[in-house]
Amino acid sequence: MTKEFGQMALFDTPADIFHAAEKVRDAGFKKWDVFTPFPIHGMDDAMGLKRSRVPLFTLIGGIIGFFTGMFIAWYMGEYDYNLIVGGKPYFSPIFTFPVAYEMTILLAAFGTFFGMFITNMLPQHYHSAMNYKNWPQITDDKFALMIESKDSKYDKEKVKELLREIGGKEIEEIEE
Amino acid sequence: MSSNTTSNDTNSLDGYSKIALIIGIIGIGIALAGFFMGVSQNDPRPLLGYLLGFSFWLSMGIGMLFLIILFYLFDAGWAIIIRRQLEHAVGGFKVLALIFIPFLLVAWGVIGSDTGLLWHWASHDSILPGGETVGNDVLYHKKHGFLNLSFFTVRVFLFFGIWIVLAESFRKFSYTLDKDGNASWVTKARKLAAVGIFLCALSATFAAIDWFKTLEFHWFSTMYGVWFFAGSMRAALAGTVIICILLASKGYLKGIFKPSHSYLLGCLMLAFTVFWAYISFCQYFLIYNANIPEETFWYNIRELTHLGENSSWWYISLGLIFFHFFFPFIYLLWYKNKFGVRIIFISVWILFFHIIDLYFNILPGRITDPSADNPLGYTVREFHIPITGFIWDISMIIGVGGICAYVFMKNMSRNKPIPIKDPRILESINYNI
Repeated sequence: MTKEFGQMALFDTPADIFHAAEKVRDAGFKKWDVFTPFPIHGMDDAMGLKRSRVPLFTLIGGIIGFFTGMFIAWYMGEYDYNLIVGGKPYFSPIFTFPVAYEMTILLAAFGTFFGMFITNMLPQHYHSAMNYKNWPQITDDKFALMIESKDSKYDKEKVKELLREIGGKEIEEIEE
Repeated sequence: MSSNTTSNDTNSLDGYSKIALIIGIIGIGIALAGFFMGVSQNDPRPLLGYLLGFSFWLSMGIGMLFLIILFYLFDAGWAIIIRRQLEHAVGGFKVLALIFIPFLLVAWGVIGSDTGLLWHWASHDSILPGGETVGNDVLYHKKHGFLNLSFFTVRVFLFFGIWIVLAESFRKFSYTLDKDGNASWVTKARKLAAVGIFLCALSATFAAIDWFKTLEFHWFSTMYGVWFFAGSMRAALAGTVIICILLASKGYLKGIFKPSHSYLLGCLMLAFTVFWAYISFCQYFLIYNANIPEETFWYNIRELTHLGENSSWWYISLGLIFFHFFFPFIYLLWYKNKFGVRIIFISVWILFFHIIDLYFNILPGRITDPSADNPLGYTVREFHIPITGFIWDISMIIGVGGICAYVFMKNMSRNKPIPIKDPRILESINYNI
């Protein structure tokens, strides 16, 4: 017997899944998720999700990029190999600014890109939710809600009851 | 019950618009008194204050006209409720055109004796730094084909003509749509927007060149028009945010102007903050790198006094970098700062530093004084000298603002707060990020 990962239920319309999500949120569950074939506006609030942490990665990437750009210009012009170009000082924040600016953008973009992978825990080639027998329908016209057994409030019978209460169909235990 | 509320609202709106009109008339009256005093004493400072106060509201108007055009061009669904507020506001161009008239009177010599009091090139007898007159200036002769009073006057009429015709057309299309519900007005507006974006870009660029850049007509810069556009867009977005949130709190847009709209306007503010900095820096950077005296003098007089010390403009320019770019940039990066009181705060902040930016671009000038005891033959007009100059600036800014607010509220009381028959109005009302 394999370990239980959680329980999953199927819904027919975006409105159903939206209100179901609100009820699960209000019931106080933390480790649960909603699967939909397309983005549903306002679902973040309905699930009680906090804002994404990706912007933090972007900001850190940008700051590192800015100082890297400035450092490269300072190291080459002022420290390692002095050259007078166009009668300008060896180092000045003015003419190095475009370099620092481009580095800011580049590393901020990298920060965003990898931040997205890190916060989403990607790449992830296998997820237990795919064991759900109605999984293919979720990429088409059905909506699913899953409560994971890792949640501190998880209780097999109570969760089953809750999923039925909020209008879920095809309730099924998912194997890990 | 509801009819009572409506009549109360209308009454309070009438009250506010009366107050705005009185403030406007008093403010412009004081500024005009200064204007005529300056003309009679041959002191350009009050005229510069008049130009500054005028250009602050003009830039906001141009930015708002651009926003209307952009919303149409991109067929932006979310912005439809915001567009109506802009349509109220751009009705102010007619008044701004009237406010501009005194400059033409001076330049044509109708009032005062020195036609070159504000724009030195307007009089062949103005003395330039170095002791030459404009009439003997080689650069002036080269630029004469563009920079002569007749063509200048034609351009003034052309600019205001373009802005007024565009603004009034967009207003007419949108207000008529309210009455007859004929969606073809939207198509018409989109076609006009496609033409209007070019007209608006050209007229804003050349207006900035004509009115601000020719204050030092020896100078060259290809970025100047874009700088004015960037500043205008920032002022317009800040003004739009303040108007919308104010109207939402007063009940006119309550429940219609939502956090989602505020968020998107905040994003645009962030984008144009970066754009302004990009353009302003590019202008400085190109001139710094090329290091040609014909161009660098414009920044030199904004950094050093004739004694070679840091002048007041040096502090202003650093203030612009850190407070007009850096602080708003960092502040607007935060998601939470794009809503409610927080976005109002940064809007007021941006408007304040937009005024400082206009000061930086308009006010510093070389005051020619051949008898001055310094090798340059000129002194630079400082930010704070004379301190009485601020009276004209502030009264003009408040005065024109009062008149613009009056025009806005008049338009508001005559028309619906949102274009209810626009085909995409529901998309805008229900907009959710």
